Amino acid sequence: MNRTLWTRVGRAFRRMALPLIAYYGITLALPLMNGAARSGAAFAAFVDHALIVLVVPAAIIVLAGAVDALGNATVAVARALIARR
Amino acid sequence: MTMKTKILAIAATVLIAWSLKRHYADARVDDLWWILGPTSRLVSVLTGATFTMQSGEGYFSREHLFLIEKTCAGINFMIAAFGMLVCAWWHRVGSGIASMQVLGVSLLASYVAAVLVNAVRITVAMWLAAHSAALSTLSAADIHRLEGITVYFGGLVALYEVARRLDRRAVTV
Repeated sequence: MNRTLWTRVGRAFRRMALPLIAYYGITLALPLMNGAARSGAAFAAFVDHALIVLVVPAAIIVLAGAVDALGNATVAVARALIARR
Repeated sequence: MTMKTKILAIAATVLIAWSLKRHYADARVDDLWWILGPTSRLVSVLTGATFTMQSGEGYFSREHLFLIEKTCAGINFMIAAFGMLVCAWWHRVGSGIASMQVLGVSLLASYVAAVLVNAVRITVAMWLAAHSAALSTLSAADIHRLEGITVYFGGLVALYEVARRLDRRAVTV
């Protein structure tokens, strides 16, 4: 189950790689190139912004992978129970 | 020929994305009617609120005290969606006409997606603003930020899935 879970999460990351790159590009790379983190105060604000922007989409992908794994495990258990009858 | 076409397609993609960003940076809220207008109308349909254009400010709903301003335009989402779609359909870039088709369809689809996703984000934001007391463990700004990240990233994922399915269907036909 644990291995299946991480396989699903890994698959979800691979599947959502392009949207993730596009999102990180527009929310992190572009502001960095425009000098959003140049000065002290701006740097602190950018780090705060970057942490949330980095973590939330990744957490959504992990959650999606976990839900997918859980859904598949539930279906497998339900099928096994039906087959036993 | 193909390599030259691909280099031109990359240059055109960068130029379009840069032009959008430049336009967004320089534009006043009134200049963004082409994206804020359809977005505010769609939010009106979804929420029943009436938005009126206030010159220099944006689209304002008196009954909800809610302003759709320049920062709500969703141009950054549109640029991200445009770049993502061009990458997703990059294998179709071969001839000059095919490149123009990929760029044109990507631009149009990213515009439609930006209006739709942004309207959903604003609708959810309006709902959250009205029910913020129920979610008091986070500040209003934090809730707004989390909602923005979730809806925009979810919108990109959904758009990518639609693009992949359309691409697969076009290949099999």
